[in-house]
Amino acid sequence: MARRLTAALELGAWWVALAGLWLVLIQTVDTLECGVGAGAALLAAYGGRAARRAAVRR
Amino acid sequence: MNGWLAAACALLLVGFLPALLGICTGPVRRRVLAQNLATVLAALVMLLLSQGYARPSYTDMALVLAVLGPVGTLVYERLLGEELRASRPRPLVTRTMTVLGVAPVPAVVLPVCVAATPGRTTLKLLFIGCLLVAGSALCTRALTTPPGGGGSDGR
Repeated sequence: MARRLTAALELGAWWVALAGLWLVLIQTVDTLECGVGAGAALLAAYGGRAARRAAVRR
Repeated sequence: MNGWLAAACALLLVGFLPALLGICTGPVRRRVLAQNLATVLAALVMLLLSQGYARPSYTDMALVLAVLGPVGTLVYERLLGEELRASRPRPLVTRTMTVLGVAPVPAVVLPVCVAATPGRTTLKLLFIGCLLVAGSALCTRALTTPPGGGGSDGR
């Protein structure tokens, strides 16, 4: 249970950081951009967590 | 021609052109270091041009260069690792290249930040500046690592 919570928290932290970065980097903020950014940030959050775990395991 | 375009021309002539000459001639290490410097300078020129022509989309070019420039340099570092680690670079070379790669970034990014409309654009410019500084410093360090000292392990 604790492991799942930690994983969810880490994913959430990655998502917030990456979605914020997306919002900073795009030119115009509208609903479609926000939706695409939220989805892309979620995918990238999984990638970020996987990369961090791979780097720690080395 | 406004001040931003004049600065971009000056940076092209004084910085980018010598870097291109450095890429074309000399030993391997100098070529790769010059290539790394050239990507940083090209990104800075793009930032100046985006102000000079009032086209914010040019900053996206700078962002792409700031991300892909260090990646390209590190690919070269991996490919030419044997040759790069065969000789020890002089400390003066390491210091000079670090300063040349890092110092122009705040000199360009901060004035552009001041001139740009405050808000997300400022954050974006600062992010590009941080990427450029970190990428340049990291690549210079990777390229000037002495033989047997803490660099890529060849895997």
